[in-house]
Amino acid sequence: MFNKLTSSESGRGLLLISPPFFYALLLMAFPLGAIILFSFWTQNFMDVDTTFTLNNYRQIIDQPIYGALLQRSLFVSAVVTVVTVLLAFPIAYFVSFHVRPDRKSLWLFLITIPFWTSYLIRVFLWKVILGYNGVINTGLLNIGLIDEPLTFILYNINAVIITLAHAFAPFAILPIFVALEKIDRSLLEASRDLGENKVMTFFRVTLPLAMPGVVAAVLIVFIPTIGDYVTPELMGGAGGKLIANMIQTQFLALNNAPLGAALAVVAMLSVTAISLVFILLNRRWLRGRS
Amino acid sequence: MSLRIYAIAYLVFLYAPIVLLPIFAFNDATIIAFPLAGFTTDWFGELMTNRSLHTAVKNSLFIAVMTAILCTLLGICAARAGAMYRFPVKAGIMGFIMLPLVLPEIIVAVSLLVVVVQIFDMGLSNWTIIAAHVLICTPFCIAILNGAFQNLDPSIEEAAMDLGESRFSAFRLVTLPLVMPGIISSMLIAFTISLDEFIIAFFLSGTSQTMPVYIWGLMRFPASLPVVMALGTILVALSIILLTIAELLRRRGMARAGVKDKGGFL
Amino acid sequence: MTALITLKGVNKYYGDYHALRDIDLTINTGEFFSLLGPSGCGKTTLLRTIAGLEDVSDGVVMIGGKDMRGVSANLRPTNMVFQSYAIFPHLSVAENVAFGLRKRADLTKDDKARMVDDALAMVGLSGYGKRASHALSGGQRQRVALARALILKPKVLLLDEPLSALDKKMREQMQVELIRLQRHVGITFILVTHDQEEALVMSDRIAVMFEGEIGQLADPETLYRRPNSRRVAEFIGKMNFLRADVLQVGDTIDVDVAGLGRVSVNAEQAPMALHKGAAVAGVRPETLAILFEGETTQRKLIDGVVDEVVYYGDMTYYDVLIAGVDQPLNIAMKNLIGRPVLDVGTTTKVVWDERSLVILA
Repeated sequence: MFNKLTSSESGRGLLLISPPFFYALLLMAFPLGAIILFSFWTQNFMDVDTTFTLNNYRQIIDQPIYGALLQRSLFVSAVVTVVTVLLAFPIAYFVSFHVRPDRKSLWLFLITIPFWTSYLIRVFLWKVILGYNGVINTGLLNIGLIDEPLTFILYNINAVIITLAHAFAPFAILPIFVALEKIDRSLLEASRDLGENKVMTFFRVTLPLAMPGVVAAVLIVFIPTIGDYVTPELMGGAGGKLIANMIQTQFLALNNAPLGAALAVVAMLSVTAISLVFILLNRRWLRGRS
Repeated sequence: MSLRIYAIAYLVFLYAPIVLLPIFAFNDATIIAFPLAGFTTDWFGELMTNRSLHTAVKNSLFIAVMTAILCTLLGICAARAGAMYRFPVKAGIMGFIMLPLVLPEIIVAVSLLVVVVQIFDMGLSNWTIIAAHVLICTPFCIAILNGAFQNLDPSIEEAAMDLGESRFSAFRLVTLPLVMPGIISSMLIAFTISLDEFIIAFFLSGTSQTMPVYIWGLMRFPASLPVVMALGTILVALSIILLTIAELLRRRGMARAGVKDKGGFL
Repeated sequence: MTALITLKGVNKYYGDYHALRDIDLTINTGEFFSLLGPSGCGKTTLLRTIAGLEDVSDGVVMIGGKDMRGVSANLRPTNMVFQSYAIFPHLSVAENVAFGLRKRADLTKDDKARMVDDALAMVGLSGYGKRASHALSGGQRQRVALARALILKPKVLLLDEPLSALDKKMREQMQVELIRLQRHVGITFILVTHDQEEALVMSDRIAVMFEGEIGQLADPETLYRRPNSRRVAEFIGKMNFLRADVLQVGDTIDVDVAGLGRVSVNAEQAPMALHKGAAVAGVRPETLAILFEGETTQRKLIDGVVDEVVYYGDMTYYDVLIAGVDQPLNIAMKNLIGRPVLDVGTTTKVVWDERSLVILA
């Protein structure tokens, strides 16, 4: 049977792909399944009661704090996504269309370096920049531009949004860049030849063709930001905590893993639902235009 | 070109926080604020003497090295299978393996915590962190190695076999040297990601901490902030060096295979 | 003529797709043999089953009298030049050529170096040993691939569309060089190509393949003059086809050919078994001629009107309409000195000879 497997191309391919596949299955699908299972159980201190119950979900629906937290988290993620993608598009466009081909890797390299350094440290540095006695405030005070330190830039949602937009920038830039690179430049020339100016060519040809990259960028930023825990914890203040912090609290501080699991499930479902809606809307929009 | 100005401004925005690190790591003050107070290397000195930091560093290095090796091995399997073979449900399987890229880290951390502690009742250790890191790093390794494998002429392994080599020695003598820059790149990137990773390590570290978790602890104390700056400077410098090496290797790999550089590891 | 390679009843399936159908084939030692056919006909698949890079689903492949079942590619006495040449980019030219010698413990380093030099000289690349292989031109790469394969002294050299990546001039040059090389080395060459001119120029025998089967296996002249089916006739060279009615079959065959009238042809002009009734007569453009003003001939003539003229420099191709035939006849005329190029619409006479007809079912 092993021989049969190794003798055909598809057999060898399947054999080769099985270690990474089963690893992902074991460490992703299985634990996710466990989380879903856990959300239907209850925990008292260290004991876990495995009788099936919907209590956790009821708790989430009944108590307004969870709904509010989820809403706030989805809102923040959405805003971060919009800001990040909007800021990212021009730079992806710049590197794809205005940079010499042999310089492109250099730009991409420069753009991605900050991303590879410690996330924790970068968040911390934003705290330093935006703080009451931080770099911006002391700098502006010194120059004399302001009389008192600005307070709206730290320990609230704004700080969270700025920090996350910074952290996820390359996630947004790269997919858009890849999509823009794939566009056949002669299509743009054809559009100009047929009478469109630069701006209209962008909206009628470039943007629709870059859409798959934009969609990928949106998803790559939106989905992980829901799970971000560090930024809200360090920068959010009391009013800036998000759903991930609550999940962490339930798991580690309050020893209520089932509730934490239920929250995680609800968060993931919301994110998946929103993403699917986004993808479907996008397909319809693209089809409607052509 | 206004777009160029925007691009430069964007780069400033990206690098602004990082640039602060060396500035305040050498600043002779305990408060991180302007104006600057003078030059000192005291904070770096403190790093040298800190015992718990050394343990955390050792843990982090061990985890990062193991992660890099395991990830790269899995990545080689996946990239080779993707580039050289056709098999049923290929797109689905490859997509599934890349899924951790879009999973929020907290979900990964939390679900593994549940499985390891509650279900299997095992203790948390470096190996649980390694397991989780391998899960999230493998997609990156695959992305890099995909590039390396796809640059190969698919017939060269067959040519090697036709000339007398077995399947495995054809891989060893012909394919492996050509993807080696990609392999090293992949290991460096996985190493860097693992070294810097916080959320999963935070959830899954038992008694032993990793470096980011240690830094998190330090952040509670305002007095130790400059030391954090010093540590951060070293970490960032290290990451940048490793990444530059990875990038140079990637470029060399492409030159060796005689392929033109189209930009980035995508 | 000793048979070196024998294929009996070879079938190959890819899932449901029947790529090779009951192939029976014998290739002789020292022969330059070609597998010719359009894309997808199975010629490359057949080559790869001989090389051992593909298994056969059914049937026997024998090389040198030995059954090759279960013998993997690296152990067969064959070597292949791949379509992309498959030069190892990380090795120099000399290292590429010496690649297959790695396992030969009986050879010293000096032996190997000498063999590499000889091989490079044989393909006209003396002195290229130290060059980096990724900096070579297409033609040079192909020669390296040849040297690399021939240095191992295989019994059979397999070539998978080796000239398709080269430009026209390079291709013609390499065709001559490959013939010379084969004669010099004296081993069997099996060439896969979709270019019928190439096959005609280089081969001792050609197997024309369509959809997994061998349509006709013969030497170039037989294939050209006596194609055994309309398909082969259309694939090799240009051919005019006329409706025909077979009246009598015997030692000679009586046929009524549209536009030309009743003719009697030899049995060998009908390569396939014929029955009375509808058939097709094929006639090659160069076997027809236009009778210019002032010329005379003993042969048969037919009136016609020039419909299209295509000037090629050394030849002019005329499309001429004759009575009783819808499609014009294509006629190839050499542009001799003093010969005019006729205009469209000119009435003219077409010279023909029934000995050049091929009657196909």
